[in-house]
This record gives sequence, C-alpha cells and structure tokens, in this order.
Amino acid sequence: MIRGVVIGEVWATRKNPALQGRKLLLVSQLSVHMDGTRHFTGRVIVAMDNLDADVGQEVVVAFGSGARNAIEPGSRSVLVDAAVVQVIDGSST
Amino acid sequence: MILGRVVGQVWATRKCRRLEGQKLLLVQPLCWHLPDHETDHVVAVDPVGAEVGQDVVICMGTPARLALGDTRFPVEASVAAIVDDVEMWEGRLQRPVNGSGQSGGAR
Repeated sequence: MIRGVVIGEVWATRKNPALQGRKLLLVSQLSVHMDGTRHFTGRVIVAMDNLDADVGQEVVVAFGSGARNAIEPGSRSVLVDAAVVQVIDGSST
Repeated sequence: MILGRVVGQVWATRKCRRLEGQKLLLVQPLCWHLPDHETDHVVAVDPVGAEVGQDVVICMGTPARLALGDTRFPVEASVAAIVDDVEMWEGRLQRPVNGSGQSGGAR
C-alpha cells in the first residue's frame, strides 16, 4: 500500500462496462520522512474510490487483489488494480 | 490503474493466437513530475476503441485480462476507459514541491 494525496478526479464516458458507476481518483504518491518533511515521489496513479475521498485529502491506496477486495470482497469481476482503502485523519509524522 | 496518452499503434502479423483481432496501443504514462523521456511506454490492448492523442486509463495485471473477458489472455495491460476530463486540484501539479515540507496539502 502507498500513501498519497488525492489531486484530481477522472471522468470517462467511454469505458469498460465493469467501471460503470465507479469513482476514479488521481492520487499522487507522497513520501514522508522521519523529520516530518514530505514530498511527492512523482508517481501518479488512478485509484477507484468507494470511501468518498475528496480532492486534497490524504489516502492510503492498495494494489492488486487487495484493491479488488476493498471494492468488492472476493470478486474477480471488478476492473480495479488500485483502490483507496483509507482516508487518513492524522498520523504521527 | 494509470493515466496515459495514446501515442501510437502497434501492428504485428506473427503473434500469439489469443492476441488475434486485438488492437495494441502504445501508451505514454502521464507523469507530471518527470520529463517525457523518463517514463517508459506501455503497450496495452484496447477493447474500448481509443485513438492516438486520447488520454486513457490503463489497468494492469489480472484486471487487464478481465477487461477482455477471460483471465487466460496473454496480456498485462489494457485500456479500461477513455478520459473525458480530469478535474484537478488547483495548482497541485503545476507546482510539485520537493522535500520542502510544504507539499502535504491536506493539512
């Protein structure tokens, strides 16, 4: 899983039917150092979201089958390889 | 998933039989923080019908095969959606901050 900031939302009309009604967020990976400084790593991913994360919020994104389980547990039919699994309220760094 | 721009199409005569009839696109991942030449291009199967110049969402791994309707396709990247619009957080990508401690944004 990675930690990132939601930087935008992706809109698409023509898409695989399995993505119908799903919210796609653009998440920029964040690297947080021991001294509290943070910077974007440059990696930007598209993550599915069913936690209603807003632009500007910090989130945790899971990949692979973990992401599928977050959207629909046990399902193999959801077209997702990255999903928001937590919206971060606060952290110690 | 990643966001990418379709920059070309790949044609092949000799190919795995399960790839016959599939359109292969050359996609450049969109990464605002890196110069264009530093991102690796991805070849993705396109069941949606994207064209050169369009922005697309690419999914990788098992979902890429699911997008084609069968997990046995010899594919690891496929187009999941054609992007109409990306609603951006104002200024976030125009001013990437490196290590100055100001880039949290959320707080």
